[in-house]
This record gives sequence, structure tokens and C-alpha cells, in this order.
Amino acid sequence: MNKITSRFWRALSLTSWVMASLSFVSMAGATEEALPSLSYDQTGERLLKVQANQLFESTDGRAAWTMIPLPDEVAEGRLVTVSATAEQALYIAGPSIGVQRSIDQGESWHEIDEGLPSQDVIAFTVHRNQPETLYAVVVDDGLYQSEDTGTTWKKMDSGPAQAVRRLIHSDMEGSMQTGWLYAVSDDVVRLSMDCFCGWRPTGDLNAGRVYDLAYKLDDPEHVYVATEQGLWRSDNGGQEWQQVRGNAPTLVALTLAPQGTLYALDREGELMRSEDQGQTWTPPDA
Amino acid sequence: MRKRWILVTTWLLMSAAGQAMAGGGPSSRDTSRLEEGERIYQQYCASCHGSEGEGQPNWERQNTQGELPAPPHGPEGHTWKHSDAMLYRIIAEGWRDPWNKTERLTMPAFEDVLTPAEIRSVINFLKSLWTSEQRHHQAEESVGASFPTQSE
Repeated sequence: MNKITSRFWRALSLTSWVMASLSFVSMAGATEEALPSLSYDQTGERLLKVQANQLFESTDGRAAWTMIPLPDEVAEGRLVTVSATAEQALYIAGPSIGVQRSIDQGESWHEIDEGLPSQDVIAFTVHRNQPETLYAVVVDDGLYQSEDTGTTWKKMDSGPAQAVRRLIHSDMEGSMQTGWLYAVSDDVVRLSMDCFCGWRPTGDLNAGRVYDLAYKLDDPEHVYVATEQGLWRSDNGGQEWQQVRGNAPTLVALTLAPQGTLYALDREGELMRSEDQGQTWTPPDA
Repeated sequence: MRKRWILVTTWLLMSAAGQAMAGGGPSSRDTSRLEEGERIYQQYCASCHGSEGEGQPNWERQNTQGELPAPPHGPEGHTWKHSDAMLYRIIAEGWRDPWNKTERLTMPAFEDVLTPAEIRSVINFLKSLWTSEQRHHQAEESVGASFPTQSE
């Protein structure tokens, strides 16, 4: 009897250990994926931050964040990105959230993803100069485009083979169509013309995990990427990268204001600012 | 070569079926235009894009000279993603990939070699290499971005 009891407790403790290990891996994955994101709303002259499934704005470029109301469904999903357009529309997107639009600063939200095959949207962006043109990456499916603010969607491409963390539209010159799309994956940044005739890796960027990308609005060939090994800069759209030497902490989200001010978030969602192309960073209140 | 003729024949049959359903039959004019498109393709395009439209090896990456090789025109390529207007412009005016490491055009210009009608014919021939879904996609992309009038 004692032998049976001993085996039972041993099996139970082993099972508990396995379960605990699995839940640790799962939590680690969840933590890893729940990085904050940042964008600059040119029309509203404000910073927009997504952190811990919540949406915030800062209108003074400082770390005073005001919460923007979100739809209830966000609690069941994972909010990954926010975009604002010249028409003062706000878009949010994420797995299990799909794509939702608000034109009253978050007081009400409308799902605009009926034309997508699922609500598992892992990346989203708005065309730089055409606010009615939206792009959404659906997990394990591909990249969809809407040219009527989400009323209809059309699959354009299967997308890069690697999962896309961020999608950014750029009006950099040289595209056959109207611009380019940067797709940030863990391993590298890829680029495609917005006619989707092939994804090309940007220049060598041996910098560990890649987190985010931002480009200068009035000079889109100037691009920055935040990586595990610091900040990198390109003056030719990403063909070649140079590491920015300075005091930057590990930054996981980046955006550029029109005057060239770089804003970034660290892992904890703390805002940092640089006025010298990423060399020195200070908290905005400093 | 045989594969290409199967594709062309399939495309002609589908066109014929479509026209028959619309109340008309396949016109000999369409057939001859497609043949003309293929003749032009073989004369001017096949040396780079391949006689079957198969493109050059490793066409998605820059070659040792830093230039993008000629892409395939079949279902595996991206020609079908472009509107009629864009395909016409690329053939007529040429195009240089901005990441090209040489000053050469990635795609040479043919407006001094081919007439507008010939450019249109060769594009119509390329459509015979695509799947029906790709033709549908490309037709949608061409709404509001059709061939220039001088090519009619």
C-alpha cells in the first residue's frame, strides 16, 4: 500500500512540475509577445501607446498618459497596434480583436474585419497617403488590403514566411505602385513594394531580435530599427544599416514625430525621447 | 514548349467559353492577337524571361552584379499582381529597381521597339500563363488602371 501511495505522490509531483514548467513557458511567451507599441498621430499631434491591452494618448510629448476607451472584446484578445489617420480615425488591431475603427476618440468602436478570414490579425497599418487603404496580416494566412476603410478586403500576398511583428507603410520613392511596406519579423526587416511583387530582406542587420521600425516622415529613406542589440539607422531605406552609438537602453517600440524627434518605449512601456537621431535618450520629463 | 501551347490553348478555350456564354464566339481577331503576342514575346522577352516564361534562376534575390534577375511570368511570379496600365508602363518605359547596384534599368524600355498595340498584345499573351484566379485578381486591379487608349 505504501509503495502505491509513494508512486502516486511521485507521479503527482512530476505532473505538477511538468504543468508548472509548461505554464512558465506559456507565461514567458505571453510576456514576450505583449511588448508595448508606439505611434505618432500627426493630425492630433499626440503619441499613442498600446500597453497591457490598453490604449493611451499623450498630447504634450511627455509621459502623462490618458487612457482611451476600448471595446470590451479587447479583453479577450491581444491588442498589438494602433494607427491614426488624417481623418482623425483610430484603428486598433490584434489577435482575436481583428480590426476596429473609431471616429470619436474611442467612445465607440466598429468592427471592420468582416471581409477578413479571421480576427487573428497580428499586424496592421494604414497607407501613408491614402487613409482609406488599410493593410492587415492574418496569422497563418497572409496580407490583406482594403481600399475602402475596411468595407471589403482582398488577399494580396501570402506575406513573408516568418511571423510579422510590425507592418509599416512608407511613401519612399522607387516603388512601381504607390509606396512600400516594411514587415518587421523577429529575425529581420523585410520590404516589399505595395504591389506585392516580392519581399526582400533589408541590409545585413546582425543585431539579434528586431522589435520595431520607424522612418522620417519628410525623408522616408531615413529609417531606424530597434533591436535587441540597440538602435540602428539607415539613410537609404534599409539597404544598409549602421549602429547608432549612444546611451539608448533596450527599446522595443519606436516612432518619429514630424520635427525629427524620436520617441521610444522600453520593455516596461516607459517613454524616452531623442533629439539627436537616437544618440542620446532622456525621459521626456527630464 | 508543349506546356506553353497547352496553356495558350486552355486560355483560348476559356476565352471561347466565356464569349460563347456571353452570346458570341471566339473571334479570329482575338486568336491572331494572342499569336502575335506570343511571337513578340519569343522575339523580345524570352531571352531574359525564358521561352516558357520561367524567369531566371534565383530571381527574387540580387545577382552578383547587384541586379534583380528577370522574374517568371507564370503563376509563381508576380506579373499577375500588376494592372494593365502598370504592365504597359513597365514594358514601354522600362523600370529600374531602386536597390539596383548598377545604373542599368532592371527592365529595359521597349517603347522605341514595339508599337502600343504590340505591347498590349504581349501583355495579353502573358495573361494566358496565369491561373483563372490570378486573371480575375489582375482584372480587378485593372479597374481604373486599364491599357492606354493608344494601344487599342
